[in-house]
Amino acid sequence: MFQYDFMQYAFIAGTLVAIMCGAIGVFVVARSLSFVAHTFSHIGFAGAAFAVYVGIEPLGGLLLFTIASALGIGQMGVKMFRRDASISVILSLFLGLGILFLSLSNKQANFTASILFGSVVGINIQDVWQIVGLTIVVILVLAVGYRWLKFDSFDQVGAESAGLPIRWISVGFLLLMSISVSVAVQIVGALLVFALMTVPAAAARCFTQSIFGMILVSSILAVLGVWFGLVMSYYTNAPVSFFITSFEALAYFIGIVYQRLVNRYRVAQLN
Amino acid sequence: MLRQFQVDDLQVSFNGEKVLNHLSFEVFPGEMLAIIGPNGAGKSTLLKVILGMIHPQGGAVRMESDKRKAVIGYVPQSRTIDEETPIQAKDFVSLGLPAKIVPWLSQKERVTVKKAMMMTESLHLAKKPIGRLSGGERQRVFVAQAMVRHPDVLLLDESTANLDPNAQEQMMQLVQRLCKNQGITVLFICHDLHMVKEYSDRVLFMSRRHYETGSTDEVLSGKALEWLYHSTDDEKPKKTGLFREQRDRVTDHLF
Ligand SMILES: Nc1ncnc2c1ncn2[C@@H]1O[C@H](COP(=O)(O)OP(=O)(O)OP(=O)(O)O)[C@@H](O)[C@H]1O
Ligand SMILES: [Mg+2]
Repeated sequence: MFQYDFMQYAFIAGTLVAIMCGAIGVFVVARSLSFVAHTFSHIGFAGAAFAVYVGIEPLGGLLLFTIASALGIGQMGVKMFRRDASISVILSLFLGLGILFLSLSNKQANFTASILFGSVVGINIQDVWQIVGLTIVVILVLAVGYRWLKFDSFDQVGAESAGLPIRWISVGFLLLMSISVSVAVQIVGALLVFALMTVPAAAARCFTQSIFGMILVSSILAVLGVWFGLVMSYYTNAPVSFFITSFEALAYFIGIVYQRLVNRYRVAQLN
Repeated sequence: MLRQFQVDDLQVSFNGEKVLNHLSFEVFPGEMLAIIGPNGAGKSTLLKVILGMIHPQGGAVRMESDKRKAVIGYVPQSRTIDEETPIQAKDFVSLGLPAKIVPWLSQKERVTVKKAMMMTESLHLAKKPIGRLSGGERQRVFVAQAMVRHPDVLLLDESTANLDPNAQEQMMQLVQRLCKNQGITVLFICHDLHMVKEYSDRVLFMSRRHYETGSTDEVLSGKALEWLYHSTDDEKPKKTGLFREQRDRVTDHLF
């Protein structure tokens, strides 16, 4: 399998994207931004379609649209945006826009499939470099801002009263999210970015109660899921995203059962 | 005596409604100052002004620490703890550490966290998820989070509310120890006059238009008592039977 260049690229890019999504996902879940992430991926879809329409690289369009909306949401306030109504309006608006741009350009079917469902075979060396670069930027910023971000994500009132610039942290995090979504869309597709960003993190909570532990477990689950998806997809020709989401969902259910068992064991010990 | 800080002619209003109206008082280092007064009097607002979270329309808070800016630790009145976010108490405490660029905790910081949890008698809770702690345990962890910054001043906003009498005593004793042993100046908002009587050195009484500071005995025996259950807005206290009864009960407790 590794004799093919595209599989090597897919593994490198997929692994990096998984680490990034797993790590950032812990904060996405803690800040209750799962559906904002989902919305970002649809905005990204419109951006990619727009890029194709005007003839620039999809990644350019993805970044343009998602970063612009991150700034917009930052202006408007995350609380307002997180409302169900705002999310449905914006999500459907951008999905519609994406469809419009696609119909205006002539590159329809293939491209639509790959941007919605992800594509692994289409990755070339240049994409790999872009993904490597952006992932490193995101992970570095996460590491440097880790303490601020974790205070604000897990104890907002505390962070505000300790004088942290919570507004900037919020906007900064939205920007990181928009970059990671843009990168991840190219691999797992717009419809399932959300899965890679939230399910491993949700599962990680069942296995550990330390913040760093959650980041670690979440990233590991995401990476294993992507590897599993790539290998299975190579041998069966079924889409990668199907295997990734099944793997993560399984991890989540195992996590819940594990948590139950641990709790029962603790109770038993107490008695 | 050197002052820890001075609150000078503070004025704060929200949407044109005056909440703090020319409030002035002093705080001395190492004392425990209780802040009492009816709901909506502006007690929490006052703490937020001292913290710098709210900018007053007039007046100022003057810190009189000699060399550096005084570090203030704060335990807010309410806090959203997501029961679904099972982070450990020790992680929660370490959130309060002064921010740094290095993501991991240094050895020294670990010791600081441990010490803060020891001081607040919460070390045995270190590995428990914060969402599963009882109210009293949680409050101790909150105080520990405020302590990791090595504060000069500690602001507690109703930290004993919702605690059973035993836990209240335990909490106040703990705060008193922090105050006396570490020399931390404590301002605490409390509705339980029993606790105020027992643990405060001085009292600030606040209602919308009437402020009074003095030693605990002075304030609690003075006019404040009458204001306490009546008139957030300067009506003459109505001397109803209920009021008398309530007042007598309170005074019985106290004297
Ligand atoms: N951010 C705000 N915007 C508008 N009004 C506010 C704000 N914060 C406080 N207030 C108003 O200021 C008044 C004082 O509020 P504050 O929370 O300081 O009262 P408190 O003395 O702490 O009362 P309690 O004992 O109930 O905690 C209240 O009438 C409240 O409605
Ligand atoms: Mg209050």
